[in-house]
Amino acid sequence: MIVEISHFLAIISTALFFLAGLFALTIKNTFYTTNLISKTFSHAFLFFSASFFIYIYLAITDDFSVQYIANHSNSALPIFYKISSIWSAHEGSMFLWIFFLALWGFIFNIFIKNTEILKPKTIGIISLVIVGFLLFLLITSNPFVTILPIAPVNGADINPVLQDPALAIHPPTLYLGYVGFVIPFACSMAFLINNDASVKWESLVRKWSVMAWIFLTIGITLGSWWAYYELGWGGYWFWDPVENVALMPWLAATAFLHSLSVSIKSSHLRTWTILLSISVFSLSLFGAFIVRSGIIDSVHSFANDPQRGLYLLAFISVIILISLSLFISRFSLTRTHRSIKTLSKESFISINNIFFVTLIFSIMLGVTYPLIYEYFYDQKISVGAPFYNAIFIPIVILASIFLFFSIESKWSRSIDLKIFINPIFISLILSFVATLIVFINLEKINVFILLSIFTGLLIIFRYLIEIWNSFVYKKYLNPFSAIAHFALGLLLVSISLNSLLSSERALNIKINEYEEYEDLNIYFRDLNLVKGPNYDSVKANFFIEDENGKSFNLYPEKRRYSRRGQITTETAIYITPFRDIYLTIGDQLEDGSWIVNIQINFLIRWIWFSAFLMAFAGVVLISSKRKV
Amino acid sequence: MNPIRKKRLLSIFFVFLFSVSGVSLILYSLNSNLDYFFTPSELKEVDIPPKKRIKIGGMVLEGSVDRNASDISFTITDYENSIVVLFEGIVPDLFKEGSGVVALGYLNDEIFYAEEVLAKHDENYMPPNLDIEK
Repeated sequence: MIVEISHFLAIISTALFFLAGLFALTIKNTFYTTNLISKTFSHAFLFFSASFFIYIYLAITDDFSVQYIANHSNSALPIFYKISSIWSAHEGSMFLWIFFLALWGFIFNIFIKNTEILKPKTIGIISLVIVGFLLFLLITSNPFVTILPIAPVNGADINPVLQDPALAIHPPTLYLGYVGFVIPFACSMAFLINNDASVKWESLVRKWSVMAWIFLTIGITLGSWWAYYELGWGGYWFWDPVENVALMPWLAATAFLHSLSVSIKSSHLRTWTILLSISVFSLSLFGAFIVRSGIIDSVHSFANDPQRGLYLLAFISVIILISLSLFISRFSLTRTHRSIKTLSKESFISINNIFFVTLIFSIMLGVTYPLIYEYFYDQKISVGAPFYNAIFIPIVILASIFLFFSIESKWSRSIDLKIFINPIFISLILSFVATLIVFINLEKINVFILLSIFTGLLIIFRYLIEIWNSFVYKKYLNPFSAIAHFALGLLLVSISLNSLLSSERALNIKINEYEEYEDLNIYFRDLNLVKGPNYDSVKANFFIEDENGKSFNLYPEKRRYSRRGQITTETAIYITPFRDIYLTIGDQLEDGSWIVNIQINFLIRWIWFSAFLMAFAGVVLISSKRKV
Repeated sequence: MNPIRKKRLLSIFFVFLFSVSGVSLILYSLNSNLDYFFTPSELKEVDIPPKKRIKIGGMVLEGSVDRNASDISFTITDYENSIVVLFEGIVPDLFKEGSGVVALGYLNDEIFYAEEVLAKHDENYMPPNLDIEK
């Protein structure tokens, strides 16, 4: 039985990871022990990846004697989805999660030289985290369980809403981001254990953290994009608990990267940076806990098993407890007595960190408050978009204004007011004029939306001027910061205009009838029954013409998957640079007409583009030759 | 008091003031944006102002679904009490008679005007507080 080999290899690797962790944290580190720890870790990883790849092989070859594969895959699936079925439910997702955790550790192990003082302890801490998760996998959610003696002929099939390319790569990308923050976490812990303030752990982890941040950014964006076209609700963000628990580590990680750059440049905020490194990783684990425990009802919570939740909660608590006690016991290690100069770059980043923490705190409150409330008052409540909007919109606007003024700021010096008047003044005027144009052309007015358009434009124009200056006058510009913040400005403007301009309506339309919506002329041409490989579907054909005489066809579908009997809506989207025409088909009424939902979503592509641009900024930083 | 101490005390005071006012602002907005969840029976016992957004969960009563142009009306029931819901738009794929549903909206004169209708993605989903009866 091949699956037993895979299982056995995973158990061996657990023991080896444990040995690596034990060596690293108990033996005095010398050149030889470091070498030993590094080798042990590499071997543990080799065993574990062998186990993982054998498991993938089992999924590809349809070994339905493995219960997990039998429950989530099917021999009719293309190979791509046979592989992605591994992370379509709980056990396999955890397997992948641990594989990535170990992979980050392995790459770190290869690229960082053995002479690096913090290396053995960092590897040791990563090993122990892996052991914790491996025990969780083997004890509470074992993917190696077999169905014996007789294996089913075919599997139960993957959930149809998950049969999608974006969703096949969304979880792995997100996981790579989540677990990538084990490196800054382990490094900061190693730094605290090592107890020597002169060791610069911050420079060591900069690029690693940015890399994890890139994956997290892309992962969240892919999820948003997938939800938009697959779920048929048409939005890009729903403030669903699971989205929230992914956003919290992202915000913490972004705050961490800012604080990290201060610690590297001027040794300020070092204590704070360590605290953030703990927070980012804890929030990632908290995300895993919320999604996996099923404690909160959500699209994503597929594993409602209290035992799992309890184990994860205990594991997270132990990690947080140990790391925080270590942090407190070494609190004075990184203390500086110099204070931060007002209006210096450090001061702006400190303010930015306060904003980030406020946002994280608010989300945390929104996610956990219903649980607390129900416990005390026995009344179910939920916290929806209105709360998050009320918090996020003003804070993001405020933060963006600070960002705008911080662009001219320098490390350890106050801004010289004379030089910075000019570009600021120009961008203020430009943004004001642009916002005024938006204001005049609109019927609906919302002060907050106009304000966020204004601040978004401020950032965009300000950076355009900077980019111009850097090309023409060769003025120094940090490309990472410039692209990332420019993307933020673009994101603000896109989100605001999207919420201001987008609209939707449910139409009631018969075949061969016309209907009008906004500038569109919609003709319901045809309706067909279509048979797909593993589903039957009703496929409508709409002919749509806009006011400029430009026409196109849209084919929204309703599918019923034969294996699970599940019905899904397939949206039909016509994409133009500035707006999406988004069509979904509902039910048929008694008089033979169909309910069809039409949405016009403005600038929605720009929202994802901005997010990808942020991730791209990270790529620019990683590939830059400049030392940290 | 010596000037350094005075300065430090003042800054601590301001940090405290800002944190407290910040946290209370957040809590205030949280409190005014909560959606309370009721089953039809619980709804009978409480008095809800028409402008308060709430969630109602239960089962869609068999035979109660009535579609009219792009409007849909149905009855949410917990098999003891029930309430009529009006909704304009497309109901989710998993919405069907005799299965679980959650509606978000406003109660006005015994009729619930829904802004959003959710059926759970999981086909085995049971709305909270109802799993005992069935």
